[in-house]
Amino acid sequence: MMRLVRQFLVFLLIALILPIGAYAQSSDPAALIQSFGGKQSFDDTEAVVKKLAAAGDPQVARALNALSKGDLVYRKSDNQVFIASGRGTVDLFDPLTGTKVGEAASRDFSKVRVKNSIRRAVTDALGSLTLRSPDPNTRMAAAGTLFSTATPEAMKTLDAAIAAETVPAIKTKLEEARAAAVLKSDEPAAAKVEAVKTLAGKGDRETLAMIRGVAATSKDAQLKQAATTAAVSIENTIATWTILQNVWYGLSLGSVLLLAAIGLAITFGVMGVINMAHGEMVMLGAYTTFVVQELIRTHAPGLFEVSLAIALPLAFLVSGAVGLVMERCLIRFLYGRPLETLLATFGVSLILQQAVRTIFGPSNREVGNPDFMSGAFDIGLMSVTWNRLWIIVFALVVFVALLALLNKTALGLQMRAVTQNRKMAAAMGIRTPWVDAMTFALGSGIAGIAGVALSQIDNVSPNLGQGYIIDSFMVVVFGGVGNLWGTLVGAMSLGVVNKFLEPYAGAVLGKIVVLVLIILFIQKRPRGLFAQKGRFVDA
Amino acid sequence: MVEHDDMREPLGQDGIAPGASPDDVAAGPSSDPAKADTISSVVSPHPYAAEMRRRRLAAEAQGRARRETLLYLDGVTKSFDGFKAINNLSLVIERGEMRAIIGPNGAGKTTMMDIITGKTRPDRGAVYFNGAVDLTKHDEAAIASMGIGRKFQKPTVFESHTVEDNIRLSLAGPRSVVEALVHRKSTAERERIAEILATIRLTDKRRTFAANLSHGQKQWLEIGMLLAQDPELLLVDEPVAGMTDAETVETARLLREIAATRSVVVVEHDMSFVRELSVKVTCLHEGSVLSEGTLEAVSNDPKVIEVYLGR
Amino acid sequence: MIIARFLGPRVWILVGLILAAAVLVPLANLALPPGHPLHMPSYLVPLFGKYVTYALLALALDLVWGYVGILSLGHGAFFALGGYAMGMYLMRQIGSRGVYGNPILPDFMVFLNWKALPWYWSGFDAFWFAALMVMLVPGLLAFVFGFFAFRSRVTGVYLSIITQAMTYALLLAFFRNDMGFGGNNGLTDFKDILGFPIQAAATRAGLFSASCIALAIGVLLVGWITRSKLGKLMIAVRDAESRTRFIGWRPEDVKLFAFTVSAVMAGIAGALYVPQVGIINPSEFAPVNSIEVVVWAAVGGRGTLIGPILGALLVNYGKTVFTAIAPDSWLFVLGGLFVFVTLVLPRGIVGTIDHGWDAWRARRRSAAKEKGESGDGDGSILPHPAE
Repeated sequence: MMRLVRQFLVFLLIALILPIGAYAQSSDPAALIQSFGGKQSFDDTEAVVKKLAAAGDPQVARALNALSKGDLVYRKSDNQVFIASGRGTVDLFDPLTGTKVGEAASRDFSKVRVKNSIRRAVTDALGSLTLRSPDPNTRMAAAGTLFSTATPEAMKTLDAAIAAETVPAIKTKLEEARAAAVLKSDEPAAAKVEAVKTLAGKGDRETLAMIRGVAATSKDAQLKQAATTAAVSIENTIATWTILQNVWYGLSLGSVLLLAAIGLAITFGVMGVINMAHGEMVMLGAYTTFVVQELIRTHAPGLFEVSLAIALPLAFLVSGAVGLVMERCLIRFLYGRPLETLLATFGVSLILQQAVRTIFGPSNREVGNPDFMSGAFDIGLMSVTWNRLWIIVFALVVFVALLALLNKTALGLQMRAVTQNRKMAAAMGIRTPWVDAMTFALGSGIAGIAGVALSQIDNVSPNLGQGYIIDSFMVVVFGGVGNLWGTLVGAMSLGVVNKFLEPYAGAVLGKIVVLVLIILFIQKRPRGLFAQKGRFVDA
Repeated sequence: MVEHDDMREPLGQDGIAPGASPDDVAAGPSSDPAKADTISSVVSPHPYAAEMRRRRLAAEAQGRARRETLLYLDGVTKSFDGFKAINNLSLVIERGEMRAIIGPNGAGKTTMMDIITGKTRPDRGAVYFNGAVDLTKHDEAAIASMGIGRKFQKPTVFESHTVEDNIRLSLAGPRSVVEALVHRKSTAERERIAEILATIRLTDKRRTFAANLSHGQKQWLEIGMLLAQDPELLLVDEPVAGMTDAETVETARLLREIAATRSVVVVEHDMSFVRELSVKVTCLHEGSVLSEGTLEAVSNDPKVIEVYLGR
Repeated sequence: MIIARFLGPRVWILVGLILAAAVLVPLANLALPPGHPLHMPSYLVPLFGKYVTYALLALALDLVWGYVGILSLGHGAFFALGGYAMGMYLMRQIGSRGVYGNPILPDFMVFLNWKALPWYWSGFDAFWFAALMVMLVPGLLAFVFGFFAFRSRVTGVYLSIITQAMTYALLLAFFRNDMGFGGNNGLTDFKDILGFPIQAAATRAGLFSASCIALAIGVLLVGWITRSKLGKLMIAVRDAESRTRFIGWRPEDVKLFAFTVSAVMAGIAGALYVPQVGIINPSEFAPVNSIEVVVWAAVGGRGTLIGPILGALLVNYGKTVFTAIAPDSWLFVLGGLFVFVTLVLPRGIVGTIDHGWDAWRARRRSAAKEKGESGDGDGSILPHPAE
């Protein structure tokens, strides 16, 4: 406590005895930066920051950034200001240009001291400075920041920026920032009504809070009215975007379900084989991705960006081969005995899980995202991550490719022939055992491909497959067995329903509700959404 | 003709007129109401069936039982994915009548059976049984309990059970789970089973697992199970498919015997078998009746000839 | 007694063996001194007791799978629900001896800052109530679930998958802390049961005997059901459901009866399991557990009375041995067992022996007579392979 008081007194003293001449210095940025040198009060430092902002030269951003990071120093001997980096022996850089000017021992230098209010001032200053940056992205970001930080004083800067701005989107942002500034100022009510109208179009939560504040505190009836109307319209906008965002999340989940289930739609839906090891086919695909990335990391780091493209065919082959072996050695002896098939394939799933656990260990494995899969962007008030977007695209591509394969190729024709009338197909010269094996391998291979995609968003562990198997069966059964379109619609609608339930019921309870709903649905329509109709179904 | 005088004894009890020739069949049942009533009270069938039987017997006693409608399909339509399997089909089956249904593949024969037995619900139309009940409102089990038995094209018997147990499970009687749990074998039950086994000529196979029967024997066992159900109407789907000639003749005999006291609808492709039955024939085509009458009349009908031989 | 004649000697031998174990195991544990060659170490008693409850669970599954053809992949859920009902009673018996010393609230509720006992915990301080719930809760769930499932004619694999979904949903639910069943950790740290300390050798011996008696009753019950006309009807439903329908039975009623009875049996097994292992947690709901039960029944021979019991004992003994020797290898063995049983031994051990015996007898008879009949044995009644 005492120490604080003493420090405060020292500050006070310094502030009093320091030459006020610092204020009289010119608006040349280099000279202004130099005025950070020497022992100063925080107020002085802040004043310099404001002046730098007013000077409006984007070059000073470097010095300001250094200041807020605490890298701005001055030489004790002559008060000259540098940017320093390192310890002990420091590298010195010119604060304006950033060129290295030498090295020196750190004990010869003092830091220009900052506190949070100065950092805030720096941020504001940088905001207005970057408004003049030649790079539109920087300007856009600055305009965005200014919206929440703009003070009434910034209005002039903003006016100038708006006049100079050529990109319409940035201009809109600037106008919104200005409107926000107007609302904070003591401008006449009419100007504020204009500002509220401008802001009504923006419609995010921050604006809503601001306008609600105006509506609550304003004394002017007209302004109050305008603010209330604007608040309602913003609420509607937000509600719409929330729905859109939920739909997006739902589609994203749906695409994951689709990927997981689409292989099953072949093996279970088309062939009628209950493959409880389907989830493990997905897991094998994910582990294939992991192995591919490991090899790339050690042998050819440059190929990392295309690692997924390399993993896709390999995963298809690995899972497809395992599927082929399963079909030849196990499942073909069990056709027409679905419950036995279920048990035997469950045994296979246990073996595969334990094998992977033995080889790769029981813990999660790191699978990296290539650059195009990372990051996010905004559409309106909706945030879209790239990996989710690509997975939706990928799921649809796989779906269309599979549809084409079934409907346009000879193999597809033979598959459908065999599943519809095995004896007839055999009589027509189709090698039905071969078609069975190929169909099963295809379904398994697609599960492997799904594994590559799922490795990007889920933990790659031996239990990866388990989490998907029940969901996958639900999707196939819900959509209607033997109907690929049903699987698509089933996956997407389950995904969306799941995401809409989550806010009300929570993630786990939402899942339970969906399970119960599906169980009830199966009661109502045991053959799914897109049931194959006809009197032969029951045969 | 097959000699069946030996069947007189066991059959008499259920009022089946022994030695009924095809000509007698059309004349309807000549049963002994008192005896039939004894049976139904012993094995106590579905209350509805019992009531109907009582009414019928009462009516017969007053001599006005002849030629009344047992089953009436009224404008029944059923389509699958736009394909009209049954198209505004109307059909009347009279009490004690045996009817053969013929028709090319896809004429709607099996779908018609499905609708009568409650397996399929029609899109439109009604099916009246015994004048009052609309069968489209009931499920399979209820319809079976009312007295409609069905034999599938492919014989479906309980393969893991003995012939005797197959019959025992089919015997008319209460159909509740609790009753089945505490059920005791009674003398009346044993006698009835012996009787049916004699009718279907499987007495010496009574302890054989149904799985070990020949194809023809399975068909008869299934018919025996229907008899045990004591139905008023029997629907029989291609009973002689895959049978030897001797078995076919024997099956025809069995069916005629059954038809002496019940209405029977036989769906069949085998024309020689239909000829052997020599009953009224209905030809279905594209889900509705194309022609109806004696086999002679139907097979000479130009419409039928066109359908069967192509245009 | 009629039932006595009705059940046949095999069932009585089985019941006799189980009851003998109920007496002999506690004797070998309590009456014989530790040095005696026939002495049973105390740690083995609850282990064997656990096996016996598993055997009861397998028998319950066999009633629906072996006889009615319903492959339930959710019987672990009924077992766990029974276990939870018992666990709730045992939790209430702890009283103020818990870590937090709260006389009413179990420790986990105190930890979660709950102020009062949730309504569904009331009554569980009375044993009779808990015992009732052990049967009622699984039975009711099975009844409601089965009512909808069977009435809408969900059959075969579809039914299997929704039973699996059911136990999966319960697994998720019981993992939640706010459900009030101890969340992840479940219910544990039990002190005593009916006033007897749960760790005491005598209590454990008593629990073992109780499990054996429950199993014996289960065998008699299943034997009675399956040898009645209803049992024949069950097999008929399994082999040709639509035929039973067309002769006037309602297969859904038969299934519902078997499913509900079976669930109650599974619940009782779970209730006996919990005090012997000392814990019940949500992992008992894991789909894998339910499917393991299926493999016990399959190994021993479904559709027989002895098969599932033998299977449960053998497989679990194997599990104990294997996990002791090489913990990682057990899943390989279990997985291999699934494949082996379905491919090589579809009738299971008992079923295969019975079938071989029947075939041998039939051959001998047909050699003696000209044409023989299959015996009407009380062994395996698996569906004959329909070609």
